[in-house]
Amino acid sequence: MRVRRHALLAGISLALAACSGGPNGLGGFAYYSLVRPNRVVAVGNGAMAVVSPREWNRASRSSFTDIGTVEDWTLNGPYLDSISFVSGLANDKRIIHQERKADRQVPRFRATMTPPEIASLLESLYRIEGGAIEWRTLNLAPRPFLGAAGFQYDYEHLDSDELWRKGRAVGAVIDGRLYLIQFDAARSHYYAAALPDFEAMVVSARRR
Amino acid sequence: MTSLSRRTMLAGAGATALFGGTAASARIDPASLTPMVGPGYRPQDPDERGMWQQMARVEEEIAGSNLLVQDPALNRYLQGLVGKVGGPATSDLRVYLARVPEFNAMMFPTGFAVVFTGLLLRMRDEAQLAGVLAHESSHFLLKHQLRQWRDTRRKTDIYSFASMLGGVVGGAAGYYTGNLDQLAQLGTILTLLRYNRQLEAEADALGIKLIAQAGYAPLSMAETWQQLIGEIELSAAVRRKRPDRGYSIFADHPAPRDRMIDLTASATGLTVPGRRYDRGRERYLAAIAAIRPTLLDDQVKLNDAGASQYVIQTLAQDGWNGLLRFYEGESLRLRNTPDYDARAALSYAAAVAYPDAPADAWRWHGIALMKAGRRDESHAALQRYLALAPSAPDAPFVRQMLAS
Repeated sequence: MRVRRHALLAGISLALAACSGGPNGLGGFAYYSLVRPNRVVAVGNGAMAVVSPREWNRASRSSFTDIGTVEDWTLNGPYLDSISFVSGLANDKRIIHQERKADRQVPRFRATMTPPEIASLLESLYRIEGGAIEWRTLNLAPRPFLGAAGFQYDYEHLDSDELWRKGRAVGAVIDGRLYLIQFDAARSHYYAAALPDFEAMVVSARRR
Repeated sequence: MTSLSRRTMLAGAGATALFGGTAASARIDPASLTPMVGPGYRPQDPDERGMWQQMARVEEEIAGSNLLVQDPALNRYLQGLVGKVGGPATSDLRVYLARVPEFNAMMFPTGFAVVFTGLLLRMRDEAQLAGVLAHESSHFLLKHQLRQWRDTRRKTDIYSFASMLGGVVGGAAGYYTGNLDQLAQLGTILTLLRYNRQLEAEADALGIKLIAQAGYAPLSMAETWQQLIGEIELSAAVRRKRPDRGYSIFADHPAPRDRMIDLTASATGLTVPGRRYDRGRERYLAAIAAIRPTLLDDQVKLNDAGASQYVIQTLAQDGWNGLLRFYEGESLRLRNTPDYDARAALSYAAAVAYPDAPADAWRWHGIALMKAGRRDESHAALQRYLALAPSAPDAPFVRQMLAS
């Protein structure tokens, strides 16, 4: 059974894959494709589209995840920064592939979840699959997203590679499905450097 | 690859982790063991000197890690406790507390130990922790790491150490979902390596003698093993797995149970009838008071439902309080079904009835009430949350919930 990991956690899981030469190891060929700037780009399963202000690298979905509604981009490599798009995750679905018998389970998304529960789900994801040692919630506030009443969640985490990372997720539950754009990057330099891109994408996001 | 080289150094030099051991062997009489290391011990031969030089670099790296818990009072407490049960090496031992939510501790060959915060969470009193530290001290006092290192080096003639580590890491990745890399990964690797059962039995035997001499209840060491076995069994049962499979620490060997039985037998011999043993429970709880919510949080958020349930219920044998009820609720909520949501709601409601309930308990109590359609009660709970934690990072969202 393959253990597949979400590329939004790739910074950490790549380290493991690279060391172990395991099934997650990257061949280095055709893994990323280029996202052209200033064009409408469908993400995830195509139910959401964004416009990127500059070129980003889009991770091939087949290698890392079998979750069709989740897609990951990076600017400088997943150790340093990544943006993940969740384009309408359905009730009772996971944001990441996990074995049913895994000791440590990332909670499934449920349509009845409130933003504090979604924030808690993201925290579990990073603690369980990303190796986050310390987790700090910086802010959870209302924010309109895709024309709906959504939320913005800011956080930072110390990972077991001893690097502090910082992130922001903007999302909403619409018709029982989770729409989310999440940015996670090394706290020093990389977070601030790509935050304007993230913000532009959030503002440009449309449902399709 | 620097991370791998650090692990190789650590593992290659044979740091002995708390939970090793494979094949069963006869119990060792605690009276038969005496420390081989005296105060101010220095390495004796070129092998050992080389190992000490490597270890000096490892210790420097660990000492500078930002995964260490910096709390000075807690570190002084741990240092003092290892001093009580470190035998002749008492003044030479060092302890580092790493924030890793795993049940483990390990001793390095030059006399420094790394204790994981997951261990502190699970100890019910000072006697239990003293038992673990005495076990670790005994590895140093009996020069086990040197013996282990020579043994490992001999084995590398058969298969290369790097490939062995690669296999371990790959194997761990297959069923161990928590990629607690580096320090934590190191712990996983160390526990996966099969340490010599003889060395573990020796460390148990000398360790129990040391805690008995220091006045701690000898039975506390067997209790620690019992708790560990119970946790693993419940973790597996919840995931409908066999307890001897799929968990990194105790894959497929009966050592924990054997060691618990041996330690119980030794404790019987060392316990003085009629004597009252101070378990140091109050002292221990005072020492970890500031960090205990963090310890619980780190464990529960990993969402190993059976393990968290076992740990919380074990700690609650000494009495429920608001903190334990709150984290019971968190553990149930993360199980992520409507049934468990209902049970979580009951735990939150119970938690807020205690004066020591954390502010977060009011927030989740309020959310549970809101989802149950009990609007007025929900608002009262959320207002209480804001009153207790007016500058909470999620206060803006909670205020909106109240306004809607």
